[in-house]
Amino acid sequence: MIGKAPRWIPIVVGLISILWIVPLLGIVITSIRPAADTVLGWWQLDHIELTLHAWTTVWSKYPLASGFVVSAELAGIATIGSMILTPAAAYAFQFLRFPFRRTLLIIIINAFVLPQQVVVIPLFTLWRQMGLIDNLASVLIPYVGLSFAWSIFLVKNFLEDFPNELIEAARVDGCGPISTFFRIVLPNTLAPVFAVGILQFLFCWNSLLIPLLFLRSHIPLPVVFAQISGMYDPNWDLRAVAAIVTTVVPLLVFLVFQRQFAGGAMARSGTKD
Amino acid sequence: MTDATQAPVSGSGVTTSSPVTDSDRRRLAAARRRRWMADMPAAYLLLAPVLVLFAFSVVYPLIQTIWLSFWDIKGLYPPKFAGFGNFVTLFNDATFLRAIVTTLLWTVCTTVLSVGAGWGLALLCSLAPKATLIPRVLIFTAFGVSEAVTGYIWLGIYRPDAGGVLNALLSAIGLGQFAHPWLGDANTAIWCLIIAYSWAQTGLPLILIFAATQAVSRNVIEAAHIDGAGPGAIMRYIIAPLSLPGVRVALFINLLGSLRAFDTIYVLTGGGPVRTTETIGFFMFRESFTQFKLGYGAAATLVLLAAVLIISIPAIIQRTKEAK
Amino acid sequence: MTTKTHGMARIFMRRATVAGLGLATVFALTPHSYAADVSGTLVLLDWASGSEQDMIKALEDGFVKANPGVQFKEVNLTVQGDARGAIRAALQSGEKADIFINTWPAFRKELADAGLLKDLTPLWDSAKLGDNLSQSWKDLGSLDGKLYGVTYTFGDRSAMFYKTDTMKKAGIDAQPKTWDEFVANFAKLKAAGITPIAVGAKVWSHTEWFESIYEHLNGVDMAAQLTSHKIPWTDPSVKNTLKKWAELIKAGCCGDAADMLAMDWDNASDAVMKAGTHGYQIIGMWNNDRAQSTDGLKSGTDFNITQFPAMGAGHDDVSSVDTKEFSEFSGAANPAAADAFLTWITTKDAANIIAQHGLASPSNKVDPSLYSAVIKYSVDAVAAAKPQFVMGDLLPGDLVDEYRVQLQKFLQDPSDANIDAVTQALETKAASSY
Repeated sequence: MIGKAPRWIPIVVGLISILWIVPLLGIVITSIRPAADTVLGWWQLDHIELTLHAWTTVWSKYPLASGFVVSAELAGIATIGSMILTPAAAYAFQFLRFPFRRTLLIIIINAFVLPQQVVVIPLFTLWRQMGLIDNLASVLIPYVGLSFAWSIFLVKNFLEDFPNELIEAARVDGCGPISTFFRIVLPNTLAPVFAVGILQFLFCWNSLLIPLLFLRSHIPLPVVFAQISGMYDPNWDLRAVAAIVTTVVPLLVFLVFQRQFAGGAMARSGTKD
Repeated sequence: MTDATQAPVSGSGVTTSSPVTDSDRRRLAAARRRRWMADMPAAYLLLAPVLVLFAFSVVYPLIQTIWLSFWDIKGLYPPKFAGFGNFVTLFNDATFLRAIVTTLLWTVCTTVLSVGAGWGLALLCSLAPKATLIPRVLIFTAFGVSEAVTGYIWLGIYRPDAGGVLNALLSAIGLGQFAHPWLGDANTAIWCLIIAYSWAQTGLPLILIFAATQAVSRNVIEAAHIDGAGPGAIMRYIIAPLSLPGVRVALFINLLGSLRAFDTIYVLTGGGPVRTTETIGFFMFRESFTQFKLGYGAAATLVLLAAVLIISIPAIIQRTKEAK
Repeated sequence: MTTKTHGMARIFMRRATVAGLGLATVFALTPHSYAADVSGTLVLLDWASGSEQDMIKALEDGFVKANPGVQFKEVNLTVQGDARGAIRAALQSGEKADIFINTWPAFRKELADAGLLKDLTPLWDSAKLGDNLSQSWKDLGSLDGKLYGVTYTFGDRSAMFYKTDTMKKAGIDAQPKTWDEFVANFAKLKAAGITPIAVGAKVWSHTEWFESIYEHLNGVDMAAQLTSHKIPWTDPSVKNTLKKWAELIKAGCCGDAADMLAMDWDNASDAVMKAGTHGYQIIGMWNNDRAQSTDGLKSGTDFNITQFPAMGAGHDDVSSVDTKEFSEFSGAANPAAADAFLTWITTKDAANIIAQHGLASPSNKVDPSLYSAVIKYSVDAVAAAKPQFVMGDLLPGDLVDEYRVQLQKFLQDPSDANIDAVTQALETKAASSY
C-alpha cells in the first residue's frame, strides 16, 4: 500500500495475536483428547492420546444437529428482518418529514441502554398470556426489535452523507417517497445494510438468555451448550465440540461477507474526502 | 429573499422581498403543514413494522418493569404491594451500591481496553494488510465465540491450582511465587474479568477500524509518499485521524455490549468472590431469576437505566443534534 | 416405547378380558401394580442432565415395561445454576406436568403453600409404601405431617472423600474416628505437602463443613430449630460452631481464604481426586460417579469416604443428608399413572436400576450388592444416624443466598469479632425471611 511495509509489523502483530490463538487452540485440542486427560488442563502432557470420541458422540447425546438448524433459522430470519426494516426506518428518519420524527428517533436510538435481562421477564409473562412460549416468534420479535437501537443509528449515519440531489431529482421526477426509497436509496445503501446484517447475525447466533427462557422443544446451539454443561459431569470434550460447531458459522459468514462489512460499517464511507 | 428561519419550503418558491401579509403567512403555514404531513403515510408505512416490534421489545418491557418495581415478589408466593419499598431497600443494600461502582468500572475499562487494543492493532495491520490477515481473522474468531465459551476459556486460564494456564505458565518461567487464586481474591478478580471480556471484544473494533483505514483514498497516500513522508508520518497524520469514524462506531457498539455482558461474569466468578464482582446487570439477574424477587430486580434495573441515561446525557444531546 | 395407538389397543383388550392367564402373570410379578388402570401419557418435568439423566431414562423405561399402557413425556429444562428458577419459569409459563424431581424442602414448602403439590399421604397408606420405605424417609419427604415427595435417592453429606494414594503418601493408615485424631493428622498431611481440606467456597459447598460441625456439636433437634427460625442465628450454638471451624482454619486446614473462594466444588474435587494436592472434601455422593467416570478412579480402591469424625458432644449419631424425591402436581392430568409411578419407584426393580447407576436407593427392597464401595459405606452410615436435611436446601428464599455469602465472609476473617458480625447479618436476613 505504501510501497514496502515495515517488516517488523507482521512479526509484532503475530506475536500479539498469540494471546488470542492459544486459548482458541486449547478448545480444539480439548475436543480431540479424552476427557479424563484434560481435567487439569488441555496442555497436560502426562498422557497423550487423540480421539474423535467427543466428535462422534456429542451428536447423539445432545440435540446439536437440530440446535444448528434452529440457530440458523433464528439468526437467519432475524438478520433478514433487520436488514429489510432498518434501512426503511433510517431512510424515513433521515429524509422524510412527519410528526414526531425527532421524538421517535431519540427514543429508538437511546434504547440501547436497555440490557437484555430487563426485556426478558416482562416478555415472558406477555408471551405466556399470548400462548407464544416455545414459538419462534417469541424470540424473533425481541431479536429484531432490540436491534433497532444500534442498527438504525448505523444506517442513518451512513445516509447523512447520501447526496440530497439524487433524492430531490427523484422527487422532481414524480417519485413518491416510497419508490424513491426502493429505487434510489436502497440500492446504494447496501454496504451498511450488510454491516447491520452481519452484526445482527452474530449477536443472534450467540444469544443465550432469550431462547433459554422462551423456547423449549426447539432450542438453538447456545442453549444446547448450556445443557452439555451438566450439573455434575464436566464433559469438557463434548463442550469443546459444541463450542467449535457454534463458532464456525459466524466465522464463515464473516469471512464471506467481510468486504461488504468493512465497506459499510463506518459512519463515513470514505468516498467523501 | 427566502425566509431562512422558517421550516424548509424548498421548491415552492415563495420568494418575496415585500413584507409578508397575514394571508401570506396563512398560506405559508398551510403549505408547511401539507409538506410536514405529506410524507406521513409513506413514513408510517415504512416505520410501522419497526414501531410495532420496538413497542413489543422495548416499550412494553419498560412499562412492565416500572410496574413490577412497586411490588414485593418472593418466589411463587402471592405478591405484596410495596410502593417505593424496593428502592429504599436497594439504596441501603451495600451489595447494590457496590454493584453500581463495579458497573462503572467494568463498562469504562472493558470498552477502553477493547477499543484501544483494537485500534492499536488495526493501525499496525493497516501498514501490512495482506500479511496480517490470519491474525486478524483469529482475533475476530475470539469475538465470534459466544460469551459463555469465553468464560470457560478464561476459567481454565485463571484456575487456582496447577490446572490453570496462568499459574502453570508462571511456575514454568520461574515466577511461581506469583501464582495466585486470581478469581478468589476480590482485588484481582474484577481485573481478571475485565481482561477476559476485553480479550473477546477486541475483534470487532479491530475489524471496524481496520476497514476505516483501508478506505483511505489511495491517491492521498501516494501523494504523501511522493512528497517524502515515511510510513510513520503517514500513519500519524493521515491514517490515524481518518480511522476515527471507525473508532466512534466501535466505541458505541462495544459500550452497548459491555452493558449487556453477563455470561462471562456468570461463568468466571458468579458475581463473587463474596458478590464483589457483580455488575448491576448481574445483580438484577440474580435477584430476578435465581431468587425470583422480580420486583426487587426490576427496581435495580430502573436504577441502572436512570444511571446510564444520566451519564449519557451529553452523548444524547450530541446525537440528537446530529439527528436532524 | 410403545406407540400411542398400540398402547390404546392393548388397554382396550385388557379391559375386555377381566381375568386372564396373562393378566394373572402380570399381577404376580408386580405386587403393587396398578397396571389394569394405568395408561396414557405421564409428563415429567425434568431438569436432570448428564449421567443422572441417563438414570431417569432407565427408570422411565423400567416403568413403561411394567406398565405398557403408559407413555412417558419429558419437559426438559435447560438449567443455568439453581434449577428452581427454571422450574418456576416453566410453571409460570403454563407448562403442564404430572410429576417432577425435587431436591429442596424449601421449594417443597413454596409449592405446597401455593397449592401446587398433591398430598401423598393417602397414597402412602393405600399403596403401602411403608413396606418399602422406612418412616424416616416419609418424614424427610413431608411438610407439616403431610407427605409431598417420595424419595428415590439420597446421599450422605457428612462424609469426607479422600484418595488412597494421598493418604498413603502422608502415612495415614487408618481414617480418624474422632475430631482430635482428624486434626492431629493435619501435621502428617502438611508434612507431605498436602493441604488437608479442599473447601470449594466459590458458591455453596463450603456450607457442608458448617452444617456437619453444627449437627455434631448441637444435634439434629437444634438444627431443626435453627432452620425453622425457632432459635436465632445469633444463638451461642451457631457461634460455637463457627469458633470450632475457625480452629480448623487457624490450624492450617484449608489454605488462604482466596484459595478457598477461587475453588468451586468441582475444582476441589479435582484437587483431591486428580491432582492430589488436597486431602479431604465433603461433597455429595455424585462425586463418586464423577471420580469414576471423569477421573477414571475405582470406587473403594483408588478413593473412599470416611464419615465425619466424632466430636464428643453427645451428638455423634447424626448425619447431614440430601435426598431427591418425585412429587406430584395437584393439577396433574394423569394422577393414576403418576401415583403408580411414585409407587413403582420404591419397588425392587426401580431400586436396583438406581443402584446400578451408582446412587443409593432408600427402598429396603434394594439389592445392596449392586452398590459400589463408597455408596455402600454411605448407606450404612446414614442408616445408623439421625438424618438432617442439608440446610442449604432447607432454608427459605433469599436466606440461603445470604447464608452462603456470610459464611464466605467468615472464611475471609474467622475472628471472633467477625463471627459476631456474620451471625448478626444472618439473623437480620432471617428475620425478614420467615
